[in-house]
Amino acid sequence: MAVAFGSKARFDDLRLSARVFLANKSAVAGLVIFLGFLIVGLLVTLTPGLMGIQDPGVFVSNAFINANVANCSGAWPEPPSAAHWFGTTEYQGAGGFGCIDLFNLILKAIPVDLALSFFIVLIGAGIGTVIGILAGYMGRYVDEGLMRLTDIFFGIPFLVLAIAVGFVIGRTLLNMAVALMIVWWPLYARYGRSLTLSTKEMAFVESATAAGSGRWKILFKHILPNVLPPIFIQISLDVGTVVGIFSALAFIGFLPTDANLPELGYITNQGLTLAPLGYWWTVVFPGATITLFALAVNLMGDGFRDVIDPRRRS
Amino acid sequence: MAAALQVRDLQVHFHTRRGVFRALNGVNLVLREGEVLGIAGESGCGKSTLGLTVMSLLPRNAAVPGGQVIYDERNLVNLQVDYAKSAGDRFLPKRNEHVLKRVNKAMASIRGVGLSMVFQEPMTSLNPVLTIGFQIAEAVYLHNPALLAKRRLAREAATPQDLREILRLLEENEGDEAPIRAYVAAKSLEGLEEQALFVWRRPDIHRARKEKAILTLGEVEPRRFERSILGVVARAGSIPPQFRWIPIFRKVVRHALFREGYRKAEELLTSLGVPNADRVVRMYPHELSGGMRQRVVIAIALANNPSVVIMDEPTSAVDVTVQAQILELIRQIRNTIHASFIVISHDLSVLAEVCDRIAIMYAGRIVEIAPVGDTLTHPLHPYTQLLVSAIPTLDRKEIVGIRGEIPDMRDPPSGCAFHPRCPFAFGKCATHVPIDIPQGKEQLVACWLYEAK
Amino acid sequence: MKLWVYVVRRLILLIPTLIGLTFIVFGLLHAGGTTEFIKDYLNPRLTGPARQAAISDLIIRFHLNEPLFVQYFYWIRAVLGGDLGYTAVQGGVPVSTALTWFLPNTLVLTVFASALTWILAIPIGVFSAVRRDSVIDQGVRVATFTLYSMPIFLIGYGLLVLFGVTWRVLPIEGMLNEQLYTDLPSSWFDHSFAVSSPTHILMFDAFIHGYWGVAWDAFLHVVAPTLTLTLALLAGIVRILRASMLEVLDQDYIRLARAKGAPERVVNNLHARRNALLPTVTTFGYLVASLLGGAVVVEDIFTFKGIGWWTTQALLMTDVGGIMGTTLIFGLVLVLANLAVDILYGLLDPRIRY
Repeated sequence: MAVAFGSKARFDDLRLSARVFLANKSAVAGLVIFLGFLIVGLLVTLTPGLMGIQDPGVFVSNAFINANVANCSGAWPEPPSAAHWFGTTEYQGAGGFGCIDLFNLILKAIPVDLALSFFIVLIGAGIGTVIGILAGYMGRYVDEGLMRLTDIFFGIPFLVLAIAVGFVIGRTLLNMAVALMIVWWPLYARYGRSLTLSTKEMAFVESATAAGSGRWKILFKHILPNVLPPIFIQISLDVGTVVGIFSALAFIGFLPTDANLPELGYITNQGLTLAPLGYWWTVVFPGATITLFALAVNLMGDGFRDVIDPRRRS
Repeated sequence: MAAALQVRDLQVHFHTRRGVFRALNGVNLVLREGEVLGIAGESGCGKSTLGLTVMSLLPRNAAVPGGQVIYDERNLVNLQVDYAKSAGDRFLPKRNEHVLKRVNKAMASIRGVGLSMVFQEPMTSLNPVLTIGFQIAEAVYLHNPALLAKRRLAREAATPQDLREILRLLEENEGDEAPIRAYVAAKSLEGLEEQALFVWRRPDIHRARKEKAILTLGEVEPRRFERSILGVVARAGSIPPQFRWIPIFRKVVRHALFREGYRKAEELLTSLGVPNADRVVRMYPHELSGGMRQRVVIAIALANNPSVVIMDEPTSAVDVTVQAQILELIRQIRNTIHASFIVISHDLSVLAEVCDRIAIMYAGRIVEIAPVGDTLTHPLHPYTQLLVSAIPTLDRKEIVGIRGEIPDMRDPPSGCAFHPRCPFAFGKCATHVPIDIPQGKEQLVACWLYEAK
Repeated sequence: MKLWVYVVRRLILLIPTLIGLTFIVFGLLHAGGTTEFIKDYLNPRLTGPARQAAISDLIIRFHLNEPLFVQYFYWIRAVLGGDLGYTAVQGGVPVSTALTWFLPNTLVLTVFASALTWILAIPIGVFSAVRRDSVIDQGVRVATFTLYSMPIFLIGYGLLVLFGVTWRVLPIEGMLNEQLYTDLPSSWFDHSFAVSSPTHILMFDAFIHGYWGVAWDAFLHVVAPTLTLTLALLAGIVRILRASMLEVLDQDYIRLARAKGAPERVVNNLHARRNALLPTVTTFGYLVASLLGGAVVVEDIFTFKGIGWWTTQALLMTDVGGIMGTTLIFGLVLVLANLAVDILYGLLDPRIRY
């Protein structure tokens, strides 16, 4: 796997990469959907009014509750209709307060989930990759020590570990993110280490060392350009996966019932008690949103893999 | 003289994301029975592709827009040519895959039996999770299970006096096959002769040990159930359906046949110079060196006495000492086995050691073909001349190369593909593709320089 | 070096991991501080000096005054002796007892799901790769892609609605139909929790003792959660199997197998498949962690009383003993499962053993 030298070669390489990516139609679709999510997220955060959202950042605002106590307190969720595209759902935190438009709610949740997933993955990957590269590059004792450390974390299923950490530090949104960061970094440590090791073994590194390049120079000029691209792909894939995981955490009740947050897993949790009674939309729509996002990200990631893997390029 | 294999006007194009590579552009070749034909050329000239096309082992993005490969009076590439012609520019690897499935079905009875191939990379040619013995035995099991059954049955049926008689015949006739075969046929002990002959021909043990080995051939543990099943297989000539579908029978048959197959694998490996073959057959490929693996691949190729053996760069992936051993091996094989060989190599000196004739390829065409001596001492085609002069020898002071590069096969030069690099190129060369012009009795050259005036 | 040497080596490497695991669990126990720790043991009705006395007693009993190291050793000794503290679930039972109640049920789910996954994944994955880009292959790719992208609770919930509400063929809650509990012998109830003997798995024990109705009903309750886990796992396994089959089919040794004249069936099933299974088994090793995590979610959805369900309850009830017990047992199960997978891989790949 070579890195292009010279700007013309690099530009041609980029054009070929773009062509390879664009040839994969589902990857392009994935990219489009992903960008769609990003745009929605940005719009909801920056110009909520434009999207018809009165109360961004909360599941249901106090103003809304006060205004609708009469007909909404204790109201059952309504199925999808022209007025409410995804139907309505209830807020359990205020004793089953209904009439909450699900579509709006999901729109509000998108930036929250996006931000959360980027936050978790980038920080977790950042820490993990640094540790992994260090372990792989320094070798011997540093490697052994760091790997024993990561092995310990690998010994516990990540959901359980996240629950345990959450138990200790408290069940808030931020703490959920922290818990998942703790769960996430070992994956990147291991991945980064194996990539570093296999790059280290390659002939061109040996020849660079023989030519007298310093250790840091080798690291930045040779190792990193070959280790970072696959890591980047893994990050892009994980952004989709991690949403599924923290929403699962919220789903089982990591966040307290009265957390009043627009988060997709939490929304499903709010609807769960009602769901077996037939109010399927309260769980299906937020779940489908997560699925769509993960799907888009996975398709995109596939496309990136096509670009990076030299064999798939031809 | 009869032709073991014929290639007529063969064209092969590779469809890739970066364009269509015209790998073969009208190859004409005749492989005579019993000869060793070398195919030489630089990387990218299409020689490996030629070998693969003959075996129909091309990847799915390879189109065969025209030509014939004639073996045993059959055209092996007609299905692929039909599809490529009908698809034209809209050639799709996906569609081609369907065609290839039919091709594989048709070729399964030819590959490994009539035509076999030895690949370039011994390090990756063997399946890493199967034992050596299994991979060799499988070759025989797939095509000639009856032989394995007969061998085993013959050993059991042979009486000590049969064995003594065979030994006597071997000693009297100095290892000549005919009397042994006659005796074995008369006594219905087919399968015994190759085992006895193998022991007799072993270069690594004493006469006394050979005698002992032959006389003890008959010592087999009696397994009655196996014997009766093997008897059915031997009589039927192949594995009958009831043995293939019923689990118990299938297991017993496979087990028994493969056990015998391992013995045959040992014989093959020993005759190829592998020491301790009985241990090697139980090993896995990663435990063997490159030279050993190459011998294993050759053993697989020769297991069923094929009529044509194609060897693709058999010496390129191994070091020089092993190279010498393999060349010696090839020389030895050609003397004992009645097959025709195609040896593909970029190294003329390697081909000079073992070939009878050499064909030189350039940019997907054969530009010269002649007996090995003539090619090296009186090369006709300018390309051949440059190749020969580029061989480093002890008395040359300067290394001479060939200026220019091989052409981009997506857009080969018009006319003679070599004309941009040819020191003797003239007008006609750029516009007309040279035809094969005979020179003398045995030589053919595709160059306008030799056009009869 | 033979296989058993490889196994022994892996077992030895297990020890630091187990020690690390216990460190984490121990840390969890004490993360809340001394008050949190003794909360469960303290009789809440005590006040004033009696309370102080009780607290001092507990401090001495649990060596809470001594350095953390020493506390750790005492705790390990207690654990090895079987004393893991108490959990608040089911009204407060020792953790070790709760383990024997809940672990078998989770094992039923995970083992059945894994078995079912492999049985289905191998033919599907191989077929999909061999008939690349065919209609079936495309269908498989779409299906696995979608399932892979779906959060596990959606799969579980989807099955719940489909089988439990719309079609009403499967039960969706708990381990057994309410009325059938009266059919069980009273000796099977411990702390008013139905714990069957001898395997603690209702399905099997009822079958052994001849309670056919109960056995069948218990089995039905297992179907939906198992199916959920299977679907989630299947997506990951089929994807990797298909991908590695495709990669293997491009290899030189496959070409040699064809050159030998092996029919496609032999090439695919013998030569290719065995090699493609290697990275698949490795991936399965990584997926076991997700499987166990998934069990937590699935048991929550279907109120299936296994250790996953116990974990969720412990979280919601702030039950220290429960969190500690479940983390420990999950860690142990994962570590052992990984060992089993590694041994399996060693059996399949001759290159590892030598």
